[in-house]
Amino acid sequence: MEYPQAVPLKYGINPEVCLKLTKDKCGTCEEVCPANAIDYTQTEKTLILDAGAIIFSPGFKPFDPSKFDNYQYVNYPNVVTSMEFERILSASGPTMGHVTTFPKLPLNPKKKADKLLAEKRKDPKKIAWFQCVGSRDMNKCDNPYCSSVCCMYAVKEAIIAKEHAGGDLECSIFFMDMRTPGKEFEKYYQTAKEKHGINFIRSRVHSVTEDFDTHDLQIRYADEMGQIVTDVYDMVVLSVGLEITPETKALAGKLGIEMTANGFCKTDSFEPVTTSRDGIYVAGVFNNPKDIPESVLEASAAASAAGDALSEVRDTLTKEVAKITEVNVVGERPNIGVFICDCGSNIKGVVDTAHVTEYAKTLPYVTFADENMYACSQDAQDKMVEQIKEKKLNRIVLAACTPKTHEPLFQETLKSAGLNKYLFEMTNIRNHNSWVHKNNPEIATQKAKDLVRMAVAKAALAEPLREEKINVNASVMVIGGGLAGLTAAKSLATQGYDTHIIEKKEVLGGEALKLFKTAQGEDVGERLAELVQAVTAHDKITVHTNTTLENVEGFVGNFKSVLKTGDKTIELEHGVAVLATGAKSSEPTEYGYGTDERVIRTLDLDKLLKENDARLAAVNTAVFIQCVGSREPLRPYCSRVCCTHSVDNAIALKKRNPAMDVFILYRDIRTYGERELLYKEARELGVIFIRYDVDKKPVVTIEKDGLKISLNDHVLNRPVTIDADLLTLAAAIVPRRDERLANFFKVPMNDEGFFIEKHAKLGPAEFATAGVFLAGSAHYPKPVNEAITQGRAAASRAATLLSKKDNLFTSGSIASVDAEKCSSCGVCISICPYSSPRFVSEGRFEGKAEINGVLCKGCGLCVASCRSGALHLRGFDTNQIFSQIFALGEVV
Amino acid sequence: MADKDIKIVSFLCNWCSYGAADLAGVSRMEYPADIRVIRIPCSGRMSPKFILSAFREGADAVWVSG
Amino acid sequence: MNSKKTGSVVVIGGGISGMLSALDLANSGFYVYLVEKGPSIGGVMSQLDKTFPTNDCAM
Repeated sequence: MEYPQAVPLKYGINPEVCLKLTKDKCGTCEEVCPANAIDYTQTEKTLILDAGAIIFSPGFKPFDPSKFDNYQYVNYPNVVTSMEFERILSASGPTMGHVTTFPKLPLNPKKKADKLLAEKRKDPKKIAWFQCVGSRDMNKCDNPYCSSVCCMYAVKEAIIAKEHAGGDLECSIFFMDMRTPGKEFEKYYQTAKEKHGINFIRSRVHSVTEDFDTHDLQIRYADEMGQIVTDVYDMVVLSVGLEITPETKALAGKLGIEMTANGFCKTDSFEPVTTSRDGIYVAGVFNNPKDIPESVLEASAAASAAGDALSEVRDTLTKEVAKITEVNVVGERPNIGVFICDCGSNIKGVVDTAHVTEYAKTLPYVTFADENMYACSQDAQDKMVEQIKEKKLNRIVLAACTPKTHEPLFQETLKSAGLNKYLFEMTNIRNHNSWVHKNNPEIATQKAKDLVRMAVAKAALAEPLREEKINVNASVMVIGGGLAGLTAAKSLATQGYDTHIIEKKEVLGGEALKLFKTAQGEDVGERLAELVQAVTAHDKITVHTNTTLENVEGFVGNFKSVLKTGDKTIELEHGVAVLATGAKSSEPTEYGYGTDERVIRTLDLDKLLKENDARLAAVNTAVFIQCVGSREPLRPYCSRVCCTHSVDNAIALKKRNPAMDVFILYRDIRTYGERELLYKEARELGVIFIRYDVDKKPVVTIEKDGLKISLNDHVLNRPVTIDADLLTLAAAIVPRRDERLANFFKVPMNDEGFFIEKHAKLGPAEFATAGVFLAGSAHYPKPVNEAITQGRAAASRAATLLSKKDNLFTSGSIASVDAEKCSSCGVCISICPYSSPRFVSEGRFEGKAEINGVLCKGCGLCVASCRSGALHLRGFDTNQIFSQIFALGEVV
Repeated sequence: MADKDIKIVSFLCNWCSYGAADLAGVSRMEYPADIRVIRIPCSGRMSPKFILSAFREGADAVWVSG
Repeated sequence: MNSKKTGSVVVIGGGISGMLSALDLANSGFYVYLVEKGPSIGGVMSQLDKTFPTNDCAM
């Protein structure tokens, strides 16, 4: 078992060190295992699987810095990798979350040399992070690419380290360019600087030497002025990059997948999760270095690509679970069965489970109690079903581990015994008891008895609950006909769902119509035209151009929208909606934009390049200014795409006319992933990069014969003036900020006007509102391949809902109204975050509240706020919670 | 206080604090055994009545976490 | 497409990408084989302490 959060949380045998397997000695584990789970005869087996598609997501290995002699990772105990530091910060890690020097030593070392070192342990006062270890480096390793995630994780580790260690810990991050181009990343970086006081030092550290006695680390680096600085730190964290292992490369080779020179998967920007081999799709870091949200998006995107290819054989191999008729227990006297799990020795080793079982038998309504060694094992479950049937039990209490992972399993057991799955109560005598009170068996046994008594009291009041079926209209409305919207529509239509695209402009294509080339060199115009053609020709897709959305009603599976095209309005019924309204380039208010035609925006330059405009031939000196309107107090986010875009265009200009002088004035170059290779290429072609600070921006003077651009050169540290005849501004990308649309679907927007997804990491292509999905730059500015990935991801998430059209149910644990008691005050309606309660509009209970079970998430906020006691939360009703409190008050 | 039986009633939100208490167990942390957890679907479910009732039943402290 | 397609998918790698691909596919009507070399699924993410930019627990 590698770490306590491993899933499955089971022990395995390492065949390389097991004495039984290597020398046929020992065998102790087989003797002591109470579950007889040890089988030494298990060996590798070759299985042959028949599959219609493969998704290849082999991941990466953190870079091994052992070969870097200047950082002495192998020899110095206080030089650690960022991955090791992650474990140091973790409460379940080797130091229990305590930040300490000599973290690699055991907590209580046995070896003499280790003991001596461990005595020198201290809480560090100064920690340094070195960025780009194993990334952006061709000299000491062969990884020219940027690993994309290290800047952010270093900032995170520094913040958390300070949280753990308290205020006086000094954290410094040594970096080349700070790359925080993701959603909410730039703010995170600024907060780290301003609120947490983390130092950011722009330098690549030359070397580290260790004090022989204290093991403190002396580092040498050149500061921004070129001065050599030496400083002493207690610990150094190497921010190691992401690398594809030789094994993965070999496997990819076997699968016949084309790779880039760095071993990442080669994909097309317009099919970003499709490998060169038909039927094999790719997701995660193997498809270029990326963070968790991007990996999650690719996971869903790959599923959608596989789903497209296999749509006609959907549901052919999945198995239906046989339904068992439910026994009606309403009105019966509670007949409670209590099952106590030993969890091997996990519970029994501390809690006297036999005693608790006997005790349970004495509780009111309990007619049966039994002890299981492992209640979750198959044979124990089968036995449980028999016992429920035989003893005619109608409420079940299980004292075992956590309901968060195991409740669904046991609810299935109840179902197979013919009981409603809500007639079940689980209490946690392992995680909350035996594991945390292992030195107090008596108290733990007492606590287990209390917990069982409380659970029994609550279970006695449990009622069978019904899950309402939700009818799903298997059609889709996509709002926005840009790349993301078109991609989502095409995928869903290919999977067989009727799809409508709403576009307010006359033509499909969105902002991508204005783009010249992708970062990989594909011609955007050509490829976009193909996509538009495929969408327009698809018989399952209806395109509504020149159309606006006027109203939306309903909820997941049953939306009704009003569309307006010219003077005509139509009503559209659909089961899900995809919001892909995109973003656009802002209008700069500085650097003379709008006053001279030689000052243009990135997209204008794209147009010139696209049309091969004659004006370009006359340009001798071209200048790009980055971050125009981004990363400033007004717009504190990074627009993500501009660095790559400008670098790409600079290369295009240089290639057209190698004699042209091309300058890029930047704050940090953020060519993440293999986009870094473009940055390298640009420098090799002679593009000159000059960094400026936000408080010392370049000054542009417009003169008749040219543009004069002055700024301070960061290398020479003196002012320079460039005479240019073309100035391209990387204008910030701004969202459309459509408040009306947000209101229609009750979806939130952040301060800048981008939509807020359900979960930054685990739900990046959907909203908290069920049935509403999100794709493209309306979420955050993104390049072509990422917009398409998110379009596909939204499609995949939507497909999981649409394909369940016959078995989508509400939860049974939702609120309900006792209309007789309702005083029509409306508090529940105003307080519910999900707009579930509403007034009954007609009939006997007109004006009283009712709950729309489809929208209710079962949080109980309305129940707690109801002044009339008219609201109930099924499964967690007021009397049930009281019963637990009262049971606790009872003296044993 | 050491010789007195302390009783702390804790109402933990299923989605965060209850999970955190699970993880405390997984990480084998140790803490005093005076806590009795009542799982609630969300801290929004909490009503002052539950807190008062817990005190009336002899709780020395009530902890709501979510 | 003359040969019959198969309604199952093999997912190679049990990290965050692989797990979520598998879930999406299984939830939309395909039989999934999730193949992982190591003894547990979860990949690198499950070994992280917190995740940026929200400082959520990685679990």
